[in-house]
Amino acid sequence: MPNQTVMVKVEKLRKSFKRADGTMVDAVKGIDLEIYQGEIFSLLGPNGAGKTTTISMISGLLSPTEGDATIGGHSITKAPLAAKRLMGFIPQEIALYPELSARQNLLFFGKMYGMAGQALQKRVDEVLAFIDLTDRQKDRIDTFSGGMKRRVNIGVGLLHKPQLLYMDEPTVGIDPQSRRRILDTVKQLRNEQGMTVLYTTHLMEEAQELSDRVAIIDHGEIIALGTQNELTQQVGEDDRLEFTLGEQPIPEALLVQIQGTIEGVSKVLLTQPEQITENSERSTAGRITVFAKRGRRALPDVISFLNRAGVFLALTGRALRD
Amino acid sequence: MGKIWAIAWKELYRTLTDRNLLLIMFATPLALSTIIGLAFGGLGSDTPTIAAIPVAVVNLDQGLDIGSLISDTLPISSTQAMTTALSPNNFSFNVGSVIENILLSQPITAGGIISSAATNLDLSALNCDLLPADDNSTANFQGSLADLLTTTALTDPVAARLGVEQGDYAVAVIIPADFTQRFLPTFTDNGNRPPDDTASAIEVYGNSGRALSAGIVRSIVEGIVNQFLRLTVTLEASIDTLFDMVDLTRINTTTLPTTLATLTTVNTDTFAVLGCLFQPAINPIRLEQQPLDQLQAGNRFALVLVTVGSAQAVFFALFTGVFGILSLYEERKQGTLQRMLVSPTAGITILLGKLVGNLVVVLVQLLILLLALTTVASLILGTSTFIWGSNLPALLGVLLALALCVSGIGVLIVGLARTPEQVQVFGPMVNMALGVLGGSFGFSVPAALARLSLIYWGVDAFQKLAANESGVGLNLLVLLAQGLIFFLVGAWLFRRRLNL
Repeated sequence: MPNQTVMVKVEKLRKSFKRADGTMVDAVKGIDLEIYQGEIFSLLGPNGAGKTTTISMISGLLSPTEGDATIGGHSITKAPLAAKRLMGFIPQEIALYPELSARQNLLFFGKMYGMAGQALQKRVDEVLAFIDLTDRQKDRIDTFSGGMKRRVNIGVGLLHKPQLLYMDEPTVGIDPQSRRRILDTVKQLRNEQGMTVLYTTHLMEEAQELSDRVAIIDHGEIIALGTQNELTQQVGEDDRLEFTLGEQPIPEALLVQIQGTIEGVSKVLLTQPEQITENSERSTAGRITVFAKRGRRALPDVISFLNRAGVFLALTGRALRD
Repeated sequence: MGKIWAIAWKELYRTLTDRNLLLIMFATPLALSTIIGLAFGGLGSDTPTIAAIPVAVVNLDQGLDIGSLISDTLPISSTQAMTTALSPNNFSFNVGSVIENILLSQPITAGGIISSAATNLDLSALNCDLLPADDNSTANFQGSLADLLTTTALTDPVAARLGVEQGDYAVAVIIPADFTQRFLPTFTDNGNRPPDDTASAIEVYGNSGRALSAGIVRSIVEGIVNQFLRLTVTLEASIDTLFDMVDLTRINTTTLPTTLATLTTVNTDTFAVLGCLFQPAINPIRLEQQPLDQLQAGNRFALVLVTVGSAQAVFFALFTGVFGILSLYEERKQGTLQRMLVSPTAGITILLGKLVGNLVVVLVQLLILLLALTTVASLILGTSTFIWGSNLPALLGVLLALALCVSGIGVLIVGLARTPEQVQVFGPMVNMALGVLGGSFGFSVPAALARLSLIYWGVDAFQKLAANESGVGLNLLVLLAQGLIFFLVGAWLFRRRLNL
């Protein structure tokens, strides 16, 4: 269970990018956060909300336009190497060398963390055992299944026994068994090793299952922050409706249309369903989560709107049953 | 350093375990070199096989009349005295004629005799110490050019060039009309002949399909001209000494005999080189005999393999240099770069590791190709043959300098490009241009252009080393200087581009 020692402190973190037309856009608009030691903290938000930009700044991959973040008291902008020693990073994509074996990948990245010699070899053995790939350690990564690659991907992040672990949407595009294993691993790392975990996801149920606290981020701003109970109170549990829309991509305009047309709808999020393609790639299909204010008759109106607009018919080939 | 080497080792391992890359890096240049070697070098034997290169020589050189030289050089009063005393009317000196005779393998003769009974000064009797003592008067060329060249003397340069284009001749050597005049030294201290800094070059017009023959003839002509140049420099020094000792403006018919007599008794060694100028026994090709002999004695297949193989090796290494660095973009795409960047590893360390890795990969590629080429030569010739000469430290130095230069160009191209896609377009274009200039495609371009390509400097160095010549210092210098500049500028640009 988390204590109140601050592991990550984010202050007024802002990142601006230059558009093609020369104008500036704020991908992250000055957020403040505190993540406590031993806590599993989820950053929840739809695609393009600013999750990855935020985590990239906190991990030192991107320089903030403004603001700073400290990891264990070390500023990521002023003392980046000291801060980075404390953190492990598990990226969303499989960031491994496909031509190298699992063991070679682990050895290489171990060296990047300053590990060497017998200590490194021993730690690699431990990690291989932890991710259950000891028997495949000499096989090249490009011969592995998607789930096995994910496990090595996680193993690399754990090599140097970090105090803080960033996990950037680690369950995207994988089968339910592997997903279950990853979620259990996250809990195990926190419970057994006291590791602090910063977990980004666009799946509400993952955030709910794992997190001590959740921050919902959208358009570069934190729109809600708290424990699961606190968030439920803010949003209103009875007024949330999720639509799974099959295999077709969901047009962005539809989300805007719902929010703009129907009275009482405060937020519409596009989230990913647990759909796995054969080659373990991400599905473009998704799920809409509609948040409405308590006491309003918004949700039936949403269903009615979608049916009237023929959206379900177009997207799923069938009308929605109430 | 540990992290840099870890990254470099990873680069080397990834490269050497990629079958497609191996095919491009090693198999292709090796196969090309072997095929071209067999096509142009035959299966070879120990007997000389490069022979009877058809050469047309056109000597337009009008030479230099000694009377004109004196009148151009000395004040009017002195000229009168000298011409009266020396009577050099029949004497003319023609460097072009000497070169023509060498190429024709004819005895070299002077155009006249200079002597003066009045002064007892016989310049032709002066000892020319550039010649061996036992071969001071009759200068027949004693080389193997007659075996190597089949030379035809022509008078029309247009016809000679046409003959080359039609394949009658491999090369045409055209000596311009003012060659001797521009070639001989100028005097400014006491004489009034103005310095002439206009170059007058012999034209070596080669058939593009017979690059090797053209290269051989060009190197022969260069060798001869270089000997004359050396002579000219020495002569200039002697003439300057003469002017220092004698105030030529005061020479007249009364004082000339005394002055000349004094000069001949005071320091004849100073004027020995004059004997070389007027002596018909100039034998400038003698020093060039050694490489020519080695060229002849060596195996044709091995020779072609050295030239073609090294050009192909460097050309293909250029692609490794560019695409090796470009792989950092690939790493960014697959997330491994980000993974390194979130580790406690400075961006500059990652960049250095990548650059060192690329350098090592290029070096290994060149090294393996050179070893493979020598293995191919040994297999085909049926005997153990190391085709790269015996100077291994110099060979290693050239390899290192080339690897630095090749890798440097790769870094520069990737650093200059805005996107990986631009690299994929411009990288091969630059490499092809360097290949064309450097002779990787079997034909030569003018030397001034060829020198712009590192391939030229590399191949030239390998050829010299294969012939056991020692003069690769300039090659090393050029390659190292280019490499360092490309490397540093490219690395700086690339670091900014990737925000490392």
